[in-house]
Amino acid sequence: MPVGDTPVRGWRSILFIAFMSLFVVLFVTFALLLIAADALYIDWASVLKVMRSGYIGHALWMSLWTSATTVVLSVIFAIPMGYVLSRYRFPGHIIADSIVDLPIVFPPLVVGLTLLVFFTQTPIGRWIERSGIEFVFQPKGIVLCQFVVAASFAIRAAKSTFDEVDRRLENVALTLGCTQWGSFRRVSLPLARNGIIAGAILTWARAFGLFGPLMIFVGSFRGRTEVLSTTIYLEQSVGHIEEALAVALLLVAIALFCLITIRLVGGRSVRL
Amino acid sequence: MIRAENITFRAGAFKLQRACLDVRRGEYFVLLGPPGSGKTLFLEALCGLRRLDTGRFFIDGREVTALEPRDRFVGYVPQDYALFTHLTVEGNIRFGLKAQGIDWEEATRRVDEVADQLGIRHLLQRRIPGLSGGERQRVALARALVVRPKVLLLDEPVSALDESTREAICGELRRVHKQFEVATIHVSHHLEEAFSVADRAGLLRNGVFQQIGTLAELLQKPVNTFVAGFMRCQNILSARVVDRHDTAAGVTVAVGRLRFDLPDAPRGDVQMVIRPERIRLLRKEQDRPTGSICFPAGIRNVTDRGVYLRIELDASFPLVAHLSPESAAELPLHPGTDLTIAIRPECVHFIGC
Repeated sequence: MPVGDTPVRGWRSILFIAFMSLFVVLFVTFALLLIAADALYIDWASVLKVMRSGYIGHALWMSLWTSATTVVLSVIFAIPMGYVLSRYRFPGHIIADSIVDLPIVFPPLVVGLTLLVFFTQTPIGRWIERSGIEFVFQPKGIVLCQFVVAASFAIRAAKSTFDEVDRRLENVALTLGCTQWGSFRRVSLPLARNGIIAGAILTWARAFGLFGPLMIFVGSFRGRTEVLSTTIYLEQSVGHIEEALAVALLLVAIALFCLITIRLVGGRSVRL
Repeated sequence: MIRAENITFRAGAFKLQRACLDVRRGEYFVLLGPPGSGKTLFLEALCGLRRLDTGRFFIDGREVTALEPRDRFVGYVPQDYALFTHLTVEGNIRFGLKAQGIDWEEATRRVDEVADQLGIRHLLQRRIPGLSGGERQRVALARALVVRPKVLLLDEPVSALDESTREAICGELRRVHKQFEVATIHVSHHLEEAFSVADRAGLLRNGVFQQIGTLAELLQKPVNTFVAGFMRCQNILSARVVDRHDTAAGVTVAVGRLRFDLPDAPRGDVQMVIRPERIRLLRKEQDRPTGSICFPAGIRNVTDRGVYLRIELDASFPLVAHLSPESAAELPLHPGTDLTIAIRPECVHFIGC
């Protein structure tokens, strides 16, 4: 039985593929079992009740627009940053490259705390808050939190994909009459498209489910800074386990729907 | 048409040193050299893709040293062609015209024209990944030529192709060169490739031009042992001029235990270069041809190379001769057999030490 482009030859090959596939089966099955456990535990009447409530609608809307805005912002930063980090070596390159990865290894909770300290305890942060762009305990803060935590995924993906674009293609474009900008726009960017989309998907997934730093930096004020992930916390903290699980299932369903749709429609050849 | 004056620049640990080159209008010049000798770097510098430390480039009489690549009017075909895989064949060819702001109708006319000339009209709507090596090569050429460059720079244009396609494409490159009348620099490390296309050639080693001239000059009068070796001259012998006569006899040269007279040679220790195909082998009992240097030698080994036979000889120094199968048929070519070697004096080339 051929799998992809790899022809199967004999029982050793079948055994090899079966062994490798076993891990896929175990992982996917475990994830499905977890979701099924939630689905079997909840009372579907409470699900309907939760779905009809206005605050869930608001939290859903907040989750969607903040994560979408974060993705757009992240991609805007990721493309030039990824290109510069990939193509040029400059003093401090290693430091800049490492700092990009910092939020990936940083505990997200610390990001929330750091942002809170910056905007409330430092002169620059206080000046920004006073100048009318308020982030602390504000919806804009959700986007900032998500951006700080998740943008690294987009930048890292963009850098990796620009690394793979052969520099000679840009050189040829330059000799054919392109400016540096033209060669970037007409050659490097289209060729990096799939990698950038992959980075955007990862960024969105990270931003959509973010919880810890949001609780610290923007709180979870019903109807104002509440997103789906914080709704789950709020519901379970007052003993509404079934409602919390219902929101959790909604979160999973939306995330799955978006991830599958992006793969099917946005980029069939997107490699994450 | 293309002039390089004292080009020097560094690329990592590599340094191209004081490279000078003059390629004439309409000339097909092959830049030869082993891998890592700086051929591609030289081409990239000429394109404006490398900043020079010193030196100047001129294209068509105009200094281009400080100009950006797009203002130099070069057609550049890099190794493996670097085709834009996100575009169709037409998109690739049209790319430069669009970048230069040529209007759509004129661009279409030029794309069709160059596609017809290179026989790729039927490929215009195809995507790059499905094309064969030869087709890719033609598309890359079309993309470079459609913008009507003043010079065409080809970086190992046929190295990725199989031998039969390589021969065919070399013939085509020569035809295209004639048709478009554009001065061409073709980078290669294959001698056969150079023979099939070059008007002249230059040999580069470790960033330094060793010799520039016609292939016949490089072949028959190499300026040093590296050039002789690269041109596959297998007989590079250490010799010494032991006597210099005032008469027409010239000089006496000692190689191994042998001594013979030659019209002229540099003073002192020299390297004597004899091309293997210029060595004549005779039976011991055959008459020695007049005017040739003749001496005895024993056969050490014979290898059949298909189109010729490689004969390793021992004449108190090692020698290699190449014989056509027809010439070989008349001789007893067995290891241990003694023969007479005959070499015309004009076939001996000396390199001073």
